[in-house]
Amino acid sequence: MSTQTATANEPRDFTFIKPRKRRLTEYEAVTIHQQWDPGGFDVGTTFLRGPDGRAWWEAERTALKHPNWFEFRDPAQHWQRTYVRMQAEQERSIERMTEDAVADGMFKEIDRSWLSDILGKHYRAWSFFEYGLFRAFSPAQREALSDSLGNAICFQSFDHMRLAQAVVAHLLEIELNVDDFEDRGAKELWTDDPIYQPARHLAEDLIKTDDWAEQTLVVNLVVAPILSRIALDTLIRKPAPLYGDAVTPLILMTAERDRRRNLDYAKELVKMVTSDKIDESASNREVIAGWIKEWTPRVIEVARNLAPIAERLTKANVDFDAELQAAVDGQAQLVSELGLGG
Amino acid sequence: MKNIVETHERVKDFDWSFSYNDKPKRYPTRYKIPPKTKDPFRHLIRDYCSMEQEKDDRQYGAMSDVIARTGMPGKASERWMEIMKLVLPITCFGEYAAMKSCGQLIDTVDNAELRQGYLAQAIDEVRHTNQQAHLARYFAKHAPDPQGFSQGFKLRSRTIQARAGQGCLSGFFNSDPIEGAVLLQVVTETAYTNPLFVAVTEIAAANGDETTPTVFLSVQSDEARHMANGYSTLAAVVSNPDNLEHLERDFDRSFWRAHNFLDPFLGAVYDYFQENRSSSYLEKWEEWIAEDWAGAYVAKLEPFGLKAPRWFDSARANMPWVGHTAMMLIAAAWPMMFWRFDPMTSKDFEWFEKKYPGWYEHFGGFWEDYARIADPKEGMIPMQLFDKLPPLCNTCHMPCALPRPDIATLRVREINGKKKAFCSEACEHIYHEEPQRYDGNPTLFEEFDGMDMADFIEQGGFLREDGKTLIAQPTLKWDKPWTVDDIRALKIELRDPLRDLPVDKVEVAA
Repeated sequence: MSTQTATANEPRDFTFIKPRKRRLTEYEAVTIHQQWDPGGFDVGTTFLRGPDGRAWWEAERTALKHPNWFEFRDPAQHWQRTYVRMQAEQERSIERMTEDAVADGMFKEIDRSWLSDILGKHYRAWSFFEYGLFRAFSPAQREALSDSLGNAICFQSFDHMRLAQAVVAHLLEIELNVDDFEDRGAKELWTDDPIYQPARHLAEDLIKTDDWAEQTLVVNLVVAPILSRIALDTLIRKPAPLYGDAVTPLILMTAERDRRRNLDYAKELVKMVTSDKIDESASNREVIAGWIKEWTPRVIEVARNLAPIAERLTKANVDFDAELQAAVDGQAQLVSELGLGG
Repeated sequence: MKNIVETHERVKDFDWSFSYNDKPKRYPTRYKIPPKTKDPFRHLIRDYCSMEQEKDDRQYGAMSDVIARTGMPGKASERWMEIMKLVLPITCFGEYAAMKSCGQLIDTVDNAELRQGYLAQAIDEVRHTNQQAHLARYFAKHAPDPQGFSQGFKLRSRTIQARAGQGCLSGFFNSDPIEGAVLLQVVTETAYTNPLFVAVTEIAAANGDETTPTVFLSVQSDEARHMANGYSTLAAVVSNPDNLEHLERDFDRSFWRAHNFLDPFLGAVYDYFQENRSSSYLEKWEEWIAEDWAGAYVAKLEPFGLKAPRWFDSARANMPWVGHTAMMLIAAAWPMMFWRFDPMTSKDFEWFEKKYPGWYEHFGGFWEDYARIADPKEGMIPMQLFDKLPPLCNTCHMPCALPRPDIATLRVREINGKKKAFCSEACEHIYHEEPQRYDGNPTLFEEFDGMDMADFIEQGGFLREDGKTLIAQPTLKWDKPWTVDDIRALKIELRDPLRDLPVDKVEVAA
């Protein structure tokens, strides 16, 4: 008897993953149960403890509780191939726009005050904040309690480094094409200018935070909808066209796409841990609401501290307080819709 | 990106000194790392994404197009295809562990340039995990026998090999981050990815499996960058003489842990699952590990004070035997595995004796008996040929029969009232350096001590769709497949051999 005949009735797909929908997706097949789960999906225990005796992954590294973290599914269904393809497309679009802008002499047409006051200072200083978020998410991906969560967080860490690098590359192109413009001095702004110290303090606190779920949810449910929206959209993307800058808004729109994706997975995480189907639902809701309550006023203040930047935007006539209030209201609505208070 | 060098110069300057907080101490390290080093690959995300997308398109395109249309997995040697059922669940965990290692390194190493390299590697490791899981699923769809591919990830935690593998490979991330980098980048990636991802592809291709080389060579194309990460990390570490003492210890430990799992594992895979035979694993080891890695790579670091690993000579002396011993013990317990075995033939015997002089004297008899009792009517599995079985090592979880049962030095000690076995002087030494890392992690024999083998098989899910036939079989023939009833009739108790051994002895294992 041939092997094909003998095994004709055997299943021809992975059988160890419970698909979210009717059929196993490629995302689920290459993601789920890659992280060992001793005592859960896997038998045995940690076969090599850390120098301090720690296990590979530890439930107490987050205040949230869930009976099976492997149930998490990234709504974007990203695995490495789809994620890298998406980012390669975004980066190619930036590169093409930059090439066209150089060929058409567009960088030379940008208002000089925009170059010196906003791009050379605020935009570049903000790349350090993005770098800080990249750092915050690196230990978070290490500690996350399932592969589907760890991968989504790892991709988010990459998102923030991508934007930080895109800012640097963009300014270098401008520098090479515009006389008398130099990308210099922004690091000193980041480390010393009072406008950025609350943001730097926030970045350092986010890096220091030990709870991976807290880092993930605070950045995506508080920092992104309030601070990133003000720092990047209100102060750069929206006014840019008025100063003859067509490229920067498009770069920032790629970051917005990342933020939408990350918001979606953060919402999915909230839904999973506050689902009525688990016993820990109420306590998890309380923990997350506590994080939101603790971090939101602070993030609002960090955003408010950026108000002097808006004063430099004389052509744009930015109503900073109204913009901030809109961001705060939008975030409050988001939090409320997730059942986390408001 | 036109200005890659200049852009890279600027992105190296992203780190700043914290003013409002202390540096996180999540992953304590004994090392002092300078803030500036060199990332020779100048990792920039734009180029990275474009390059990886192109590689992905080539690899996945080949798999979904030519290889699938021509039915290549179905034409490959069945002997070879079977062992991929074990290889992929183990390598996937190594890749996944490497991703976690990079997260720790980014958090710990205050060096923006190295952090860029570690980030690219983290995404690479997600890539490799996905690629190898995709390959396992691909084989579940296209290989002659899907069982084992379809649930190997579920069964792996019940095998000695995968548990020992996790013990070794989790050192990438459950260690001092720099020790993790030494084990991952300096030892495993620099020394062992060539035998794994390059040499194994030669065997795969020679045995009609074109799919594994398509994936593995694409994986290996990222490894050069990871080796560079390792070299950069190492260069940073050795630039401060205070680090040398820690580095030597971690280097010694990392090499032994990698050797004691990877060499028996790869030796068994390489030498016992080739049908169309070519070189031996020992030959590849001499070329890639002894000459290229120890002879050239490590030698280059000697001026910085780093010496060849402490147990390198022991490892080299063990190499002619470790793969055969590991394979004999795996084959002896074949019903507890999730792939099928092909008995060795006279042609194999000749090859083994030529490549490993003295092989027949030590292993020929076992394989003759193995072939003789493959039929369930014989009422015996090879494990029953042994008077006693070796216990598993408390440190590395490998059988205390390595390098070869008649020359193995099993050590049984009583430590804090608990009996522990060690396979070697190295593993015992490593245990005493940090016992807290190895205590409380029961071996497979300890965990399932006293269980009937048939129950182990049934409860673990080592059965085919009919609920009776074993996934594993001792031959590739289907005329008399073994069932769980055949195993139950043998009444084999999984008794932990350590229970019956006296303490405080150094003795021959079996």
